[in-house]
Amino acid sequence: MPPEAVLESHHFEALGTSCSLFAVGRPRASLLAAESWVLRLGDRFTRFASDSELSRLNARTGEWVDISGEMEELLREGLRAYEMSAGLVNVAVLPSMLAIGYSRPLVRGPGVATLHAVESLPRLGDVLEVHAGRARLESGAGIDLGGIAKGWMADRLCESLGPNAVANIGGDLRAVGPGPRGEGWPVGVGDRTLLLRDHGAATSSTRRRRWGDLHHLIDPRSGLPARSALEEVSVVASSGFEAEVVAKTALLLGPEFAPAYCAAHAMAWWLGGAA
Amino acid sequence: MLLKAAATVLTLAATVASARYVTAHLKNPAAPLQPPVLAGNGSTASALGGQFTVGPSVHESDVEPMTSTYAS
Repeated sequence: MPPEAVLESHHFEALGTSCSLFAVGRPRASLLAAESWVLRLGDRFTRFASDSELSRLNARTGEWVDISGEMEELLREGLRAYEMSAGLVNVAVLPSMLAIGYSRPLVRGPGVATLHAVESLPRLGDVLEVHAGRARLESGAGIDLGGIAKGWMADRLCESLGPNAVANIGGDLRAVGPGPRGEGWPVGVGDRTLLLRDHGAATSSTRRRRWGDLHHLIDPRSGLPARSALEEVSVVASSGFEAEVVAKTALLLGPEFAPAYCAAHAMAWWLGGAA
Repeated sequence: MLLKAAATVLTLAATVASARYVTAHLKNPAAPLQPPVLAGNGSTASALGGQFTVGPSVHESDVEPMTSTYAS
């Protein structure tokens, strides 16, 4: 009889949030390597460091910029998120983020908001072009990957953590395999525990990353923080990336259209704070 | 020649028959969505407020969750 596979777990801080990794039958070293990968990519994808790969792309609008394979993949996923959400998840959200004062990590406090200059976001395909190994932003445009990067990372991590693992990057997670007891991975979603098996899950909320009347979840139609009657949406979908996109889209759609959208794109969902 | 004429007649007949079938089976814009997705599909009230819906491919449990979607 083979020995029972050991469950390894590892928790760390990255991307300004908490991350957890779980894997059955994998050495602890593989979880530590996964943490290193998250930290490395976090340094490249952050907009809060002027020398990051993303900041270099944002600083050189109007010209083609060489990009890494990971950046190319994530930008292409940004374009896919735009299509999946009918434009409601738009990574060209940086000008709005800066306008609401989200110009530095919130642990250092928000910057000064200048809302009078805010406009609706442009069509993503009009301001972002991605070719093999290079990308180009239109003048005046800027990218923030915070809305899609965590789910995408969770999906990539699960590919390296083996067939029975969970990667949770700041609440956007992916679970693969039967879990430690063979019935799925128990994950808290809304006020329930769901057993996830080859699923992704995410929560989009206007209750967190909030200061004064402002919060970080921008509605591309106005360029301002969303004023949805939904305050929090949790979603289970086929991947972490899709869960993240669907949760944000449903929140922005509001209580009238979110149920139908979730029914078409999600396997379970919680719509919280509906008026 | 006869073969050409027969082919032409057959094509015209198929076109006319298809057109008549399509015009006789107009789409009903008032038809309900199938399956119904807006109500009565297993949604339950949540203790946190709002509605929780769980599809057939996901199972609920009463065990303690190992992690959650609320990290950030």
